Amino acid sequence: MSAVKRRTVLAAVAAAVALSVSVSACSGSGGAGSTGDAKDGKVTLRWSTWGSAEDMAVFKAFTDEFTRKYPNITLKLEPVASYEDYHPKLITQLTSRTAPDVFYVGDDYIGKLVADGVLAPLDEQLAGPLSKSRPTDFFEGIYGGAKKGGVTFGVPNDTNPEVLWFDKKALAAAGITEDPAALNEAGRWTMAKYLEMNAKLKDSGRYGSIFWNWYGANYSLVNGFGGKVWDNGTFVAPSDPKARQALRTLADGYRDKTFASADLLPEGNSAATQFVKHKAGFYAGGRWVIEGIDKGGDRESYDVVPFPSQTGEPIPGAVAASYLTLNKDTKHPKEAFTFLSEFVSKEGQQLRLKGGSAVPSIKGAENLVTEGNYPAHARTFLDVRDKGFANYPDEVAVPGLTKAINDHLMKIWEGKVGFDEGMTQLQSLVDGMKGPKG
Amino acid sequence: MSNRRRILLHTGLTAGGLVMLFPFIWMMLTSFKGATQMINDPLAWLPGPWRPQNYPDVLGEVPLGRAYWNSMYIAAVTVVATLLTGAMAAYAFARIPFRGSGPLFGLFLATQMVPAQVTIVPLYIMLAKLQLIDSHLALILPAVANPFAVFLLRQFIRAVPVELEDAARIDGASRWTIFWRIILPNIRPGLWTLGIIVFLASWNSYFFPLVFLNTPDLFTIPLLLDSFHSQRGGVDYGLTAALSAMTVVPMLIAFLVGQRKILNSMASSGLGGR
Amino acid sequence: MSAVSQAVARRRSRPARSGREPLWRRRDRRWAVVFLAPQLLGLLVFLVGPLGFAVVLSFMEWDGLGDASWVGLDNFRAQLTDPAFGRAVWNTVKIGLITVPGGLVLALLLALALHGVRGRTAYRVVYFLPVVTSSVAVSVIWQMILGGGADGILNGTVQDLFGITLPDWLADPTWVVPAIAVVTIWSSLGLNVVIFLAGLATIPTNLLEAARIDGAGPWQTLRSVTLPMLSPTVFFTVVVSVISSFQAFDLIYVLVNPDHNEGAQTIVYKVYQQGFREFHFGLSSAAALILLLLTLLVTAVQFKAQKRFVHYES
Repeated sequence: MSAVKRRTVLAAVAAAVALSVSVSACSGSGGAGSTGDAKDGKVTLRWSTWGSAEDMAVFKAFTDEFTRKYPNITLKLEPVASYEDYHPKLITQLTSRTAPDVFYVGDDYIGKLVADGVLAPLDEQLAGPLSKSRPTDFFEGIYGGAKKGGVTFGVPNDTNPEVLWFDKKALAAAGITEDPAALNEAGRWTMAKYLEMNAKLKDSGRYGSIFWNWYGANYSLVNGFGGKVWDNGTFVAPSDPKARQALRTLADGYRDKTFASADLLPEGNSAATQFVKHKAGFYAGGRWVIEGIDKGGDRESYDVVPFPSQTGEPIPGAVAASYLTLNKDTKHPKEAFTFLSEFVSKEGQQLRLKGGSAVPSIKGAENLVTEGNYPAHARTFLDVRDKGFANYPDEVAVPGLTKAINDHLMKIWEGKVGFDEGMTQLQSLVDGMKGPKG
Repeated sequence: MSNRRRILLHTGLTAGGLVMLFPFIWMMLTSFKGATQMINDPLAWLPGPWRPQNYPDVLGEVPLGRAYWNSMYIAAVTVVATLLTGAMAAYAFARIPFRGSGPLFGLFLATQMVPAQVTIVPLYIMLAKLQLIDSHLALILPAVANPFAVFLLRQFIRAVPVELEDAARIDGASRWTIFWRIILPNIRPGLWTLGIIVFLASWNSYFFPLVFLNTPDLFTIPLLLDSFHSQRGGVDYGLTAALSAMTVVPMLIAFLVGQRKILNSMASSGLGGR
Repeated sequence: MSAVSQAVARRRSRPARSGREPLWRRRDRRWAVVFLAPQLLGLLVFLVGPLGFAVVLSFMEWDGLGDASWVGLDNFRAQLTDPAFGRAVWNTVKIGLITVPGGLVLALLLALALHGVRGRTAYRVVYFLPVVTSSVAVSVIWQMILGGGADGILNGTVQDLFGITLPDWLADPTWVVPAIAVVTIWSSLGLNVVIFLAGLATIPTNLLEAARIDGAGPWQTLRSVTLPMLSPTVFFTVVVSVISSFQAFDLIYVLVNPDHNEGAQTIVYKVYQQGFREFHFGLSSAAALILLLLTLLVTAVQFKAQKRFVHYES
């Protein structure tokens, strides 16, 4: 066995040598944030985002216009197809200082990047002469984790307010005569009414509602019950009585199949498919649901309504957002900011979001949502956005926390863990993950 | 073998072959289906209506030709470099006596077991220092360092008769000449086999290109296959199947054309033997 | 491949000489360096170096952006006491336990069936097709077949024909393991069949002949001649299959999306999740090293066991 031993020793030595090589390599000077050089006053700006091939196509009009306006700046888009892969790659790039000059950050990762200090503060420039828009042009609630201690580190690109889509045919088939949108306008869109409709839908052999298991649906419902998720930096959803009641309603609904979880519906028979086949009454989602409805071809059967409340008064609903941020190490801070500012400005959003499925994050571009007159109550998206909230800064400050919460809730929805036990576990899970990092 | 048993055997093999082929057949059929049919009648075998438009649609949205070229030449360069350097190292281990040969070979074997995910962050940092991120070299260089190749080729070289080498040495041939003129021609089946394995590994690689490449013009084929998964709206299977078909079919044709050569060299290579 | 047998082989390959070290031998040392340099350099830079870095990281807490701090063995302790990690280890082993024996037995049977059969080429081609198909494409195709619940191809068809409801393969944590195994076997079967066919071809016909003259039936010949002669091939494929099954990532990642299915969370997935999603690079490195140790251990056991089961012609 001496051969094995020698082998081991040798491997260890070799590893140590190589380690010293790689460590010395890492300690070298950093700061290669961008590839472009400014020899002839021309600058290449790298920026990155996620999305499918179709999503990338919508940036073309914006890029053309931008290049016409600033001929000395060349934009280089570096896309990643899937959202799940985007942030891992971004972090790797930041670690080795090769991240793009400007990049998208999702609402579940923004807190982490703000805390790590890799993003440039934007307030001064946003208020300065280069800026195409004012900080106040954006809705306060949507900044979410992009603001910390009064400093802004990211500007919302666009939003997707979570609303309840409903299927008039499915409702009628379940014997429901009232129109949720009409009830809402009359101030009578209450939680009780909503749950009653769900029960009727279930009795007719359909799903009452389909939710994605994420903060947008879960916390909108908690708000609808008048509950609290976070209170002064503490996660209180499992203890706050009204929040708990909301979560219990969800858990019970999943268990008796009044609700379906879109995450668990198989690909190929997804939530969108069930919804266009009139197998569900409500489907919680953003404006992007239109894409699925178009494929089914029965547009007129669908409309939208906000999440209900106890009293019928509007409540703050969840808004999915993504942020455009500036790499602190960029070599072209001025050009990078110019791009950022143009991108989020009213004109920029008009160019980018035309024909897309997002809702503008800036005041004054509302026509993008309303001009198609679809769905009938398209205004609802804007109402929810104006009063809505992005995921709680406390939650997004801890990387992976939002996902851990959702994963744990999923166990409760699936019935793998009993409700009370699950709530206790959830509390200690969140406290544990927040703990070590302070 | 009796006739009955032969029929039974062929029936079994054919049935197994159909199981192997079924996914391809389904893919081809799906590539002609429209989104509406996929939603309303997901179990239908035949497309109705046939929608060949999926193919131009895909070509209009993703740079397939470009990705083809990228995947192809990355794989080709990787294969050539791996075969050459791998055979060199294998030759040293098999035929040149030097101190520490055994333990060093053991180290080679052990590194084969290091999972790629563990090395990716340090690898990324290193490649960034070398200014190789977002270039194809970032994929080629790490792939060429291949202990498995050295291991496999060493097995082949050990089977080449030593007498051949001795004869050449008496004629005054250098080590390099022996390697180039005698060893390489004699391990051709091994080189073919390894070449195919390395080519496929490079062609299929998903994780490294995903992290190392930024510019869409540099993307390889596996990166494109994700293009029609939208975040929440599910997948457009018609388009995805059309894209898959376009990436798979040329490989299948290349394989069918070269299959005799490929499979025979793999077979005669005695990959398993000794 | 013990050091001893190497030494023996080397000694045999060299004509015995006595006296002073000949010139060509001194030159040889230089040649060895030249021949080894490219691979050795690549190995140090791209494999050993990063591995060393990972070893150091496994004793630290580092989020990739902030400062790193030493935590000793905490990462390993955290992993080994975390039930989720235990499940990942179990999932990894389970997938290996189904894929490796299942895939190899099937490949062996097919190779035996194909060996000497007319029309072998056509079968070989058909069974080899999945091998040349990219694993992402493989995953996409199988998603259509196994996914979809009651509207999926497999489940829907079975439901329509027999009225039996099959489990939701890709979403069910219990059934996802066999599903992964089936797809893995499907995609690697052809390669193993070709390798086994190659091994079968190397068995000298006179041995088989001799067995028949001794009155051995086909079953006996298989047991006492074919299988022992094939055992080095089997050993090689087992070692390689175990390693690749432990490291499998691309196929599972695209096919199942382990985010939504605990049953598909393997050690490699944990390495990915903890490192790239949650930015605990120390924890992630510790998980990877545990996987490496596990692989080394299993491989070492295999090398031990081969002495009993593998027949080498001396």
